[in-house]
Amino acid sequence: MVEAVESVESEQNEPQFKEYAIEEFLVRSEPYYRPVGDELELFTAAYNQHIPVLLKGPTGCGKTRFVEYMAWRLGRPMTVVRPVDSGRAAQELREGEVRVPLVTIACHEDLTASDLVGRYLLDSEGTRWIDGPMTRAVKAGAILYLDEVVEARKDTTVLIHPLTDHRRILPVEKTGQIIEADDRFLLCISYNPHYQSALKDLKHSTRQRFISVEFDYPPVEIEAEIVEKESGCSSEQAASLAKLGEKVRNLRDHGLAEGASTRLLIYAGRLMTEGIPARRACQVAIVWTLTDEPELQRSVEEVVSSIFE
Amino acid sequence: MSNAPFDEIESELAKFPPAVMDAYRESAEAMETSFSPEELALWAKEGSAIAGQTVRSWESAVEYFRVCPQVARSLAFPSFMQWARCGTYLSQDSPALAVSFFKASPAIVSNLRPQYIPRWAGLGRSLYKGTWKSSTLSARFFEVSPDMIRSLPFWDVEVFASLIEALSYKSYDIAVECLTLGKDVLPVMGREREAFLAMCRALSDGNWREVKSCFEVAPKALQQIEEGQTSRFLKLGERLTKVGIRDTSRFLSDGSYALGQVPQGSQAHILDLCEGLLAVTPEAVPPFLKSLDGVMHRVTINQLDTWFHHGVQLLKDNPESGIAFFKVESNTSESLLETLSSSLELDRVKGIVRLYCRALSGSPIEALSTQELVRRNIGWVDQDTATTDGTKVFLPPVVDHYQNKEQNFSWFKVVATHQVAHLEFGSFDYDFDKPALLFDEERRYPLERELGAQQVNDDVLVGDLEADGQTRAYTDIGRFLSLFENRRLAFDLFTVLEDVRLDYRIKVEYPGIRQAAIDVQAQALSLRPEVEDLPLQEALIELLIRMSLDHFNNLPVPVDFQEEATMLARILQVLRDASANVEDTAEATLRAYEIISRLENETQPEDQWEPEDMEEPGDFSEDEFQSLLDKLQASQNSSGDAGEGDPYDSPEPVDYRGDFKPEMVQLLTKLQMDQNQQGEGEPLSQEMLEQLLQDSAELELDAEQGDINNSMSTFAQNIMKEAGVPPPNSQPGQGYGPLLHDDDQGGELEAREPKTYVYDEWDFRANDYKPRWCVVKEKTLDEGDPAFYNDSLKNYSTLLSHIKRQFELIMPETFRKIYRMIDGEDIDLNAALEAAADIRMKVPPDEKIYWRRNKIERDVSVVFLLDMSASTAEAIDEGRHTVDDRDAPDDPVEYMVWLRRRREGLVRRHYKRIIDLEKESTALLIQALESIGDNYGIYGFSGYGRENVEFYVIKDIEENFTERIKRRIDKITPLHATRMGSAIRHAITKLENQDSPTKIMFLISDGRPQDRGYSREGVEKEYAVHDTHMALLEAKRKDITPFCLTVDKAGHDYLKEMCGDMGYEVLGDIWALPERLPMLYRQLTA
Repeated sequence: MVEAVESVESEQNEPQFKEYAIEEFLVRSEPYYRPVGDELELFTAAYNQHIPVLLKGPTGCGKTRFVEYMAWRLGRPMTVVRPVDSGRAAQELREGEVRVPLVTIACHEDLTASDLVGRYLLDSEGTRWIDGPMTRAVKAGAILYLDEVVEARKDTTVLIHPLTDHRRILPVEKTGQIIEADDRFLLCISYNPHYQSALKDLKHSTRQRFISVEFDYPPVEIEAEIVEKESGCSSEQAASLAKLGEKVRNLRDHGLAEGASTRLLIYAGRLMTEGIPARRACQVAIVWTLTDEPELQRSVEEVVSSIFE
Repeated sequence: MSNAPFDEIESELAKFPPAVMDAYRESAEAMETSFSPEELALWAKEGSAIAGQTVRSWESAVEYFRVCPQVARSLAFPSFMQWARCGTYLSQDSPALAVSFFKASPAIVSNLRPQYIPRWAGLGRSLYKGTWKSSTLSARFFEVSPDMIRSLPFWDVEVFASLIEALSYKSYDIAVECLTLGKDVLPVMGREREAFLAMCRALSDGNWREVKSCFEVAPKALQQIEEGQTSRFLKLGERLTKVGIRDTSRFLSDGSYALGQVPQGSQAHILDLCEGLLAVTPEAVPPFLKSLDGVMHRVTINQLDTWFHHGVQLLKDNPESGIAFFKVESNTSESLLETLSSSLELDRVKGIVRLYCRALSGSPIEALSTQELVRRNIGWVDQDTATTDGTKVFLPPVVDHYQNKEQNFSWFKVVATHQVAHLEFGSFDYDFDKPALLFDEERRYPLERELGAQQVNDDVLVGDLEADGQTRAYTDIGRFLSLFENRRLAFDLFTVLEDVRLDYRIKVEYPGIRQAAIDVQAQALSLRPEVEDLPLQEALIELLIRMSLDHFNNLPVPVDFQEEATMLARILQVLRDASANVEDTAEATLRAYEIISRLENETQPEDQWEPEDMEEPGDFSEDEFQSLLDKLQASQNSSGDAGEGDPYDSPEPVDYRGDFKPEMVQLLTKLQMDQNQQGEGEPLSQEMLEQLLQDSAELELDAEQGDINNSMSTFAQNIMKEAGVPPPNSQPGQGYGPLLHDDDQGGELEAREPKTYVYDEWDFRANDYKPRWCVVKEKTLDEGDPAFYNDSLKNYSTLLSHIKRQFELIMPETFRKIYRMIDGEDIDLNAALEAAADIRMKVPPDEKIYWRRNKIERDVSVVFLLDMSASTAEAIDEGRHTVDDRDAPDDPVEYMVWLRRRREGLVRRHYKRIIDLEKESTALLIQALESIGDNYGIYGFSGYGRENVEFYVIKDIEENFTERIKRRIDKITPLHATRMGSAIRHAITKLENQDSPTKIMFLISDGRPQDRGYSREGVEKEYAVHDTHMALLEAKRKDITPFCLTVDKAGHDYLKEMCGDMGYEVLGDIWALPERLPMLYRQLTA
């Protein structure tokens, strides 16, 4: 946290972004991830064995962070980032390093197959084929992470199926090509079973192409550790936040659609680090985010006011 | 034709002024058509008789002849003559009267039944007293008669006339004025007229001048009063009048204003109060009504009762101060209102407290009023003390310890947190065999062995011992407490020490309420008795209690027992540790007991006390403890027997900590658990339970408060009921008639009658279908009263609007832009470019290059299957009930309206059955479904035996929603058994014919499927479950999404098996059904 502030000052408002081609994006530095069970071993094994992975779990419990972490871990030793030109970065590999780029696609209901595979574009010289992110990931041997996959249109399953069985191919209908995936390619999808609706569910034929790793909010002690580490608040504050998280999640079946995610707890912690009073931080980061119903708000606030002075 | 009689009459008439003759001639012509010649003769003769009565009677006769043609049109001849004769008599008394009478007649006779005419004339006559003023009054009466007769029943006219007459004795002017007012006022009054007239009548005997004012204020005043209450209000006025309250018109205007201001629906209650007050001191009623408005702005209607009853008590003692009280002119009244308005009712915050408790404990805790628990009669007796039975937290209904609502709420919170802490930090999880964390040495095992050995030595019969041991060991806490000779002392110590542990833990875990807890503790501390006045054992316990309330400094300690007190403080300090568990409390109890029980319970002399600071008594060490014990033992041995001194008495309870009954909680939990795992081990019999209760230290404490020993068996029964144990002597399976094993026999069935269908049934043992096994008879449900439907909507109006809002939110999704359509409103540029590029690259382009709005139409078909089995007739335990407080309005006035409605609801709910909630939910659901236009059918099912599966149509899926469906809902009743499988299969048939892409089947049940030959308790439960599972699978295969909702708490056991990976929900709280059902449906289809 503190370092980031300093760097902004030293660069004096220079733009700080970096630009990568999608398949060249590597997780550069070690993301913080606190393993709870054997998920690291499972994912590594699946990666080595080319088994696609389905991550199940409620929102904000660390699925995306986990994938990032795995991408970093599988690509170790560290890749080096060296800025070339203005903002454009290329990442050089050192000896013994593996390139494991991470391509993340947040799925939404208008996401079509050609958004993923690619399309022809018109330009001054005629037409040009542009690879979609999935094609690029397949070619580059990246970890392709489809977040909230149930949201995507049904025609995407046409692409997912051949990629996820023994064939590991991506048929590109329009160019009339078939791309065999790079050896390091892995498809990973996430899915939140809590949103279950009769109209939106993952088909079994799709589900059964993946191993499923279940995620849940970590146990109190571990969550406190995570919150402390991520938000930079004091360990007492982190412990209280984790306790709050646990208590609020107890209301999940009694009015709250979702419990307070670890992410929200971290937000609250960050606000506290910035000097916002604890109760206020929890109110804006947790209470008001979770529900609009006045009585529920009040109840959660009472829990907050019991835990925090 | 002979003209003789007429000639004779004409000559008679000629004697009078010529106007008479003129009138006669004019009239005679018109009359000829109406009457026969003989009748005409009589008519003419009557005219001359009228004229001949007095000197001025000829004027009456002229009027008579003038109106006759009109009157004759409405009356037959006999009635006509009767009418004419009335005029004759009147004219005898006063010609002017007769003139008025005749003048009014044409308008009257057409509206009045002929037999009433003489009575009407009599009314007018009765007002005439021979004076000029009275004749004016009487004439006025006839004048206003046409209007009145037209708009009032004759009976009321008579009463009104008699009122006028009564008034006329006092003042003719007032009587005339009232007569004129009454003509306009009475007709608009409606049915309350009678009461109003009765009141005026009462008034006319006394303060008659008020009558006129009453007539003046009444129309406006009565408007403010609810229909149906008006006559009660007027009756009240009448009774007040009768006892001599003079200002009746003031009462009318003030009273009606006050009533107009109270929340809708509570006028009846206010009138109840008024009537009560009337019986005590009538004079207090007007002041009460006058101050009502002001009072109601400060307190709720519940609190008003409290204020009111206080006033009534005062009235009984001293009427004057009572009246001042009701005028809110006394300090008592003012301060009571102050307290009431700052007090907080549990009802108002129950929802919040409940969720708070659930969040803290992580289990579905209910927050209930303590009144609830007392009513259950299972061993808790104190209404004002918070407690918990392990699944529910009971809180006092009202808190008024502080001067403002915030502080009172904090009190609730501290109390609730303390109760939940028992659950959260495991007071009830005490396990005899689990080691303590902070105490090293375990003293309970040696003690138990010692105790056992002792008992054998005491030559107790071996059989008895076993039985005794068994019951005592039934709960772990019971086993622990049985180690002690003085169980009450041990239990008191355990309670105090456990509270020390919890309060400390709460302060560590919830620093946010530390301050509030300190305040509450300080308050509790101020109520503690003086330590110095207590005998030694009790004084030491009192010291512990004070320390538990965070009071360590300047504690009075007996000089001779300083060492003991310090040791106790050390023991207590061990528990002030966040890692201490309940087993530590138990070990601490053992040690504290060993010290205190060895002391003599004698009062210490006053000068033998020294103030001590106990904040840091030093660390506890087993060695020091043991040496102290040895010392005590030695002195005990030397001084002879211990236990002398005063008998030990339990300390005053600390009110915010409430009743702590771990043994009862463990007992209930255990009973419930045994119930759920039948067959494993011997369940506890009622006798054993009674024995257990007798031994319990927890009940011993309460025995002082009431003669509980006698009701021990009632307790035992209630407890067993609470735990869900069936009453003795009931064999499972009974009530379904003789067990017909041959039901399995027999062969396929035929559908012979129309509207019957035959379905297969899945036999899991054979792993195959039994072909054509069940006959489903489809019937349309009878029609009842639509009132049920309408009432449900009314009762749930707030919830309904919430549901509707939620459903309306679904709608906008359907108006989205839909891309990639073959045709549509406009070209989708992205798609078109892509297609153009494809064409250039000679790739077959996608032709879906348009977008369009509102193409996806929501197309859902759903079938709801309601369980109409006999078990739905079960009354719902009111204790389970949670009212939806969510919509409680903040505005005090609205809140009172809301509260009132809810209270009314509660009264009805006494008799509510599961089916009633199903019905109400259906009504709400229909509203919701109609608002989004889904295609839906609602069916009920029941039946007996496989040849009689009844399938009731409430609303067929093809049917439109009509009045008839509202009527059918009324007729949903509990019938027989539940053969779910066949009902589901028939519902599938219904849904199959629908072509919606989304089809849903929603099953609402209250228990596992069962029917004759389908599921027999204990014999083959699985059969029914498997068949139902198979039926649901069949649905799924046909692209129907099944969903099961059950209100059976034991539902988790079999639903998992029954529904597999299909959706289901067990509704823990049946009261939530009306709310949950539409929401679930929304979730399922959104």
